[in-house]
Amino acid sequence: MNHPVSWILLSPFVGALVLILIPSSQAAWVRRISVLATGIPLVLTLWLITHYNRTLGGYQWVDRIPWIPSLGIAYQVGVDGISVTLTLLHALCSFTGVLVSYRIRERVKEYYIFYLLLIGGVYGVFTSLDLFFFYLFYEMAVIPMFPLIGIWGSGEKDYATMKLTLYLTAGAVLALVGLLILYGTSGLQTFDLISLERFLAQNPIPGEIQKFLFPFLLIGFGVIAPMWPFHSWSPIGHAAAPSAVSMLHAGVLMKLGSYAILRIAVQLLPQGAYLWLPWVAGISVMNIVYGGFVAMAQKDVKFLIGYSSSSHMGYVLLGIACLNPVALNGAVLLMFAHGLMTALAFAAVGHVYDQTHTRLFADWGGLARQVPFIATAFTLAALAGSGLPGFGNFVAELLVFFGSWEAYRISAVAAVFGIVITAFYMLRAVRTGFLGPLNPRWVQLQDATVFERVPYLILVSALVAVGCWPRFLTDVIGASTGSVLKHLAPLQMLAQR
Amino acid sequence: MLPELWVSLLAFVVLLLDLKWKEARHSALGLIASLGLLPVFPMLLWQSTFPTQNLLFGMYRIDPLALFFKGIFIATAILVTLMTRELRETFEHGHGEFYLLILTATLGMLFVASAGDFLMLFVSLELITISFYVMTAYLKTDLRSLEAGLKYLILGSVASGLFLYGIAFLYGSTGSTQFADIKAAIQKNPSLSPGLLFGLLLVLSGVIFKTAAVPFQIWVPDVYEGAPTSVTAFLSVGSKSAGFLVALRILHELFMPASAHWTGLIAWLAGLTILYGNLGAIPQKNIKRLLGYSSIGHAGYLLIGVAATTRLGTTAVNFYLLSYLVTNLAVFLVVTAFSRRVGSDEMRDYAGLSRRSPFLAAAMFIALLSLAGVPPLSGFFGKFLLLMSAVSQGYLMLALIGAAAVVISLYYYLLLVKTMYVDAPTDPTPIPVSLPIRLSLYACLAAILGIGIWQGPFLGLSFAAVKGLF
Repeated sequence: MNHPVSWILLSPFVGALVLILIPSSQAAWVRRISVLATGIPLVLTLWLITHYNRTLGGYQWVDRIPWIPSLGIAYQVGVDGISVTLTLLHALCSFTGVLVSYRIRERVKEYYIFYLLLIGGVYGVFTSLDLFFFYLFYEMAVIPMFPLIGIWGSGEKDYATMKLTLYLTAGAVLALVGLLILYGTSGLQTFDLISLERFLAQNPIPGEIQKFLFPFLLIGFGVIAPMWPFHSWSPIGHAAAPSAVSMLHAGVLMKLGSYAILRIAVQLLPQGAYLWLPWVAGISVMNIVYGGFVAMAQKDVKFLIGYSSSSHMGYVLLGIACLNPVALNGAVLLMFAHGLMTALAFAAVGHVYDQTHTRLFADWGGLARQVPFIATAFTLAALAGSGLPGFGNFVAELLVFFGSWEAYRISAVAAVFGIVITAFYMLRAVRTGFLGPLNPRWVQLQDATVFERVPYLILVSALVAVGCWPRFLTDVIGASTGSVLKHLAPLQMLAQR
Repeated sequence: MLPELWVSLLAFVVLLLDLKWKEARHSALGLIASLGLLPVFPMLLWQSTFPTQNLLFGMYRIDPLALFFKGIFIATAILVTLMTRELRETFEHGHGEFYLLILTATLGMLFVASAGDFLMLFVSLELITISFYVMTAYLKTDLRSLEAGLKYLILGSVASGLFLYGIAFLYGSTGSTQFADIKAAIQKNPSLSPGLLFGLLLVLSGVIFKTAAVPFQIWVPDVYEGAPTSVTAFLSVGSKSAGFLVALRILHELFMPASAHWTGLIAWLAGLTILYGNLGAIPQKNIKRLLGYSSIGHAGYLLIGVAATTRLGTTAVNFYLLSYLVTNLAVFLVVTAFSRRVGSDEMRDYAGLSRRSPFLAAAMFIALLSLAGVPPLSGFFGKFLLLMSAVSQGYLMLALIGAAAVVISLYYYLLLVKTMYVDAPTDPTPIPVSLPIRLSLYACLAAILGIGIWQGPFLGLSFAAVKGLF
């Protein structure tokens, strides 16, 4: 266990490589290898999060290999409290995603190759401590979505997959230009995030440049967050994607954006953050309330969860915008809890859709009688999404509310109002889709088999565990959010004076 | 001069065997030509161990930049020869002579790389261009090929005329055609006289025609579509690289002290070229036309590095050309293998290629992503370096245009990917791939991934080539 982070990062890629080499007729082996390639990182991540030194904080298990010294590029990976939490989220979602993908029957081998490449890219983003590799993995995580949705998706998939890929790439290249400006102006000639953090804490970039540069990174990474008004790729993308891809997409990919804003934009450009984040607090209200109202009007379950995701990500943006420890811990915890909740919801919807081939919940009706297990899973996800105590979302949202009350009162009030909207459409979805008399069209519906229940059980138990024992994560997260805010403290004092 | 002598000898052998052998045996000439070019690589390596040499009273120079580009030209010629051999059925007769023309064009490129005098440069460029005139119009019964040949001939002659006229002005202003003398004259007086400036503009026009950049790009789509596929590949990689080599020689070696006069112009042209190529590619239905427009776009990216006038920018140009060589030729290898069996270059006929030949589809997928600049493929790092050089020189607008064009190019490349992977094939018969093409594709794909992931050595190679310039 010398280089746990590198092993986590490598194993999906090695898995994909092995899959390329084995013949496509061996579908059973393809699935086994994929389970292994995502199971190993899950075990390693669990080990990491339990062994992360909370009193020490900072980046731990850092591996470094100089890559292109002349340009200051190095392969450097490691985790701090924030990234280890998100890595665990990704490990859970990707492992359960592979299990849920057992229902894929067409072109199995190619599916898993692209899926593993996507998973590897996301691990790379969460663990990279070098801006070059960060960007490289970021873009690598976007591109496999195109074939995954285009080939195995449903509905308006051609339009959806193109829109998604182009939106995310546009955001990525904008962020790339921002990163290159950052590289040029820092004066350090390096992409090494750790040295940049240390150096810029002592010698910050001039305020004017920070003010100019911050929007590049904010909007560039904000597209995937998805920050209003750049969110329109996301619901349609979720709706068209196969369910395991939606799980990963809504569960983890969206968090890449808020993670990148926090890790790079806020941490390296504190003055820029201080100037621009009040705008983000306003925008996040648009995410929460507008996204919530649009979700209310949806008739398609996947669109409903898609819009609700962009609404929930508003809370995360609000939490980051507050720049105080309570809200920031809440934001990171919410990324984790929302990821699990939304993955659970998409898995359940996917199970039903694969048999009914309709996602309009008006068409469903009374499914709880036919598929009680799936109905329970969906209901739990809906309750978690509505902020019911006992689930991780409740704790996280509460922290965001407390934190934002100190910083932006109006946004905080609007955000609390958002909870009511969420509860309305979530519970309505449960009622029309799963409760009431059974629609006679669906008497043939099969509930999950014992084996198929495993991913649901993993997700539900993780969600409940965080809800009942949030300190397990908040201690880890809190060990690192402090250092993010440390750069900002002098500025805040300046403003209060 | 060893590589040049060897290639001349090879051309002579091919000419003799072409006369002596019967038509049926001519495909063997393709193998002779391509395998015969392989020994040039060790020769270049051997030459690179010596310091820069000036031969024939400064007419001919062997410096790191020349050796780097010679490597590019030879690699291109080998793959183009193999493509031509694959397409032998489409030529009615005389396909043996075709290899001879490839070799003479290659010889011209080798001369261009080492030219140390404007007259030498002009003659070498003409050797390339005249070989291309014949090759472009080689499909004698295909009207599109004839049209392409005629267009290339007329516009190419105009460009050559401009180039020659420009040389006259340079000679008139400095009293010499030798690079060394002109360089000394400019260093002495960096504020260019009107005659010198006019001469530079005219010479640049001829060069820009070769690189297929705005405003001399109109010929590209028609010629690319009509010419035999292997010639299109040769034009898009070999001829373009030669154009950029000359641009680096003239602008970065000779006119560097007067860079204030031309960097703005080149930066504008870069931005316009990127936009023209990438926007023009969107509505295309024919894959060779699409690649024509996309090659204009890539010329625009390369001009960013020329406009940057820094060591990083020039290194980026070399790296990008290296990556463009393997990537674009991989695309053309797939197009060649496909059109041999299917007889079409229309994009709609690529429907369901992933079921007809998973290998060709996967190769095309990877190569297109690399052209678009997706990590971890070689094209990404090339674009990364170019954008980095633009930002470091303060060309923020240019960097943003370059970044936006990545998104545009991804759109039209992904449309083709969608056609190959999602759409159902009209004719589900498998497409066999011949051994030479398969091996070449493996080599290209390995290079795309290798250069993209392990960039260090290739960056070092590109960097070593520019040491003489700065």
